[in-house]
Amino acid sequence: MINFIQFTVTRAFLSIVTLLIVCFIVFSLMELVPGTCAERYLAFKNTQGSQISFEDIAAEEKRLGLDKPFLYRYTKWVSDIVIKQDFGDSCILRISINELLSGRFVLSLTIAITALLFSYAIAIPVGIISATTKYASLDNALKFISYLGIALPNFLVALCIMLFMTVYYGDTMTGLFSQEYENAPWSSAKVQDFLSRAWLPIFVLGWNATAFALQTVRALMLDENDKLYVMAARARGVSGMSLLWRYPAKHSLGPVINSIGFDLNRIFSALPVVALILILTEAGALLIEALARSNDQQLAGAIIFLLTATIVFVNFVTDIILAIMDPRIRKGVMGGS
Amino acid sequence: MSTLLDIKNLNVQFDTDEGRIVAVENISLSVKAGEVLGVVGESGSGKSVTAKSIMQLNPGNTHYNEDAEIIIDGENTLKFTSKEDLKKIRGGKVSMIFQEPMASFAPAIKIGAQMVEQLLLHKPIDKKEAKSISVDMLKRVGIADAEKRFNQYAFELSGGMRQRAMIAMALSTMPKLLLADEPTTALDVTIQAQVINLIKDIIKEYQMGVMFITHDLGVIAQTADNVAVMYLGVIVEKGPVREIIKNPKHPYTRGLLKALPDINNLDAPLQPIPGSIPSPLERPTGCVFRTRCPHPTQEGKEGRINMGLIEVSPGHWVDRCGVNCG
Repeated sequence: MINFIQFTVTRAFLSIVTLLIVCFIVFSLMELVPGTCAERYLAFKNTQGSQISFEDIAAEEKRLGLDKPFLYRYTKWVSDIVIKQDFGDSCILRISINELLSGRFVLSLTIAITALLFSYAIAIPVGIISATTKYASLDNALKFISYLGIALPNFLVALCIMLFMTVYYGDTMTGLFSQEYENAPWSSAKVQDFLSRAWLPIFVLGWNATAFALQTVRALMLDENDKLYVMAARARGVSGMSLLWRYPAKHSLGPVINSIGFDLNRIFSALPVVALILILTEAGALLIEALARSNDQQLAGAIIFLLTATIVFVNFVTDIILAIMDPRIRKGVMGGS
Repeated sequence: MSTLLDIKNLNVQFDTDEGRIVAVENISLSVKAGEVLGVVGESGSGKSVTAKSIMQLNPGNTHYNEDAEIIIDGENTLKFTSKEDLKKIRGGKVSMIFQEPMASFAPAIKIGAQMVEQLLLHKPIDKKEAKSISVDMLKRVGIADAEKRFNQYAFELSGGMRQRAMIAMALSTMPKLLLADEPTTALDVTIQAQVINLIKDIIKEYQMGVMFITHDLGVIAQTADNVAVMYLGVIVEKGPVREIIKNPKHPYTRGLLKALPDINNLDAPLQPIPGSIPSPLERPTGCVFRTRCPHPTQEGKEGRINMGLIEVSPGHWVDRCGVNCG
């Protein structure tokens, strides 16, 4: 037990170190973008018709603390996030990023994690069936569908469904809420409305992830199923479902759990494009906006930080789950019993 | 002594992408209670396939001939299809131990849990009793700290200890017949001797029959009462072990004996059997050993009309072709 706590603490510490390194990279990238936050804001004002001078820029830089050295600003950025959970203000919009992101990031996370759960809920049983079925035609059909899932890009699937919905229902299904709920406060009706629309992005994101996970589960199951210990269990009289779940399935799930963080990462990466097409008001869309359109370093940095922090956290949790599930890993990381 | 296992005219074929291949051809074997039958041969000779046929563990592409019989307790186990029937020959009346004890325990399930699972499947007992039987059995095979080992995983045990644990697991349901598939091949020589002695003690104690599969005639000489020598799915010679070692008739058996190192004359060069075992896809017509036989006969080339074993002395059977060419 002490070993287990020690393992957890070590992993937590390593996660924090990873996160700090990620912070540093994100912050450095924000710095590398040509121009500063002050210039960008004033340039933006310029397009709105107001005249600005070099003095204005200098004053703005001083106000934002941009005249301070790089390391100082990095430390301040990180400590503000860690201590005050404050991401600062958006360069362009001049409002608190916390406020801007509060609902949206939760939405993104909900969509991504639901898509992930959806994909595992389908991929694990179907992958096992595909690997162990006696009927080659069933296996081939499942393989074909999952290759389709891998081959078809998310946005294409999204466009096809939108087209279909528009033609048959007259609603493009874009957005996460119907018009009347868009700016309404949360209520049970709004949740219902959200659910009636969120299935589309969840399906589009999950479709691809399911196909990948299915291939992984299938390959792992085929691999495990051929191992001697499965035959040895059969030779002891174990059969049917208890054989399948306790032996090959249990032993092939390790790598699947290991890849949860990776899969979440992939879904996060696909989210902005899907969000753009489905006109979703969540953080992925905001990220594209901040990166590609308005060049809002502060906002982009905050979103990337949150995404990475989520993935680092998920990886931490999966490490712990794996250690609980697999005695070999437990022993490997913690030494003697 | 009563006959525990009687294999009659067993043919085993596999469907592969390259066509149907013959793994075992027309073999007949029997094992009596308290008897150890050694089955010797190179890899690919069909000895493991034969053992797996007894438990119906061969893969889905396997074909058995219609008139083959594997009789255990008066029932032809090849005809078993129901779960209950199969349980009888898988862990009930028959148990199997494997070459790789590490690989034959599920890596992430405790040894004790696997033993209890098997006992609960075959015996009308509860978990507590199953645990006490398991621990007793672990003690019986010479594992110290049996209680502790019960709660450990296979990877936490040493090689010899794993082998002992596997024997304990196989014997815990008190099977009548033990199939030992190269159980000592992966072990150090000193541990090999311990494990062989353990198996010998236990079969005497429980009056079990054993089919001991190995490629090592030396091990057979120490362990078995009778021996069957297999080559390319065919039994080329079978009989009492002493008789066969002293008086081998088939050129393949002679070759195997000559290939053993001679402890009294260590300078003598080892004599391997020339050539290598042909791929099952290029199975020779006529006598299967023809391609490696030192004195192949014309008779051996001609079809299989001259197949089958003849009795050269009481209980000592040799492949018809092998007698003439040797």
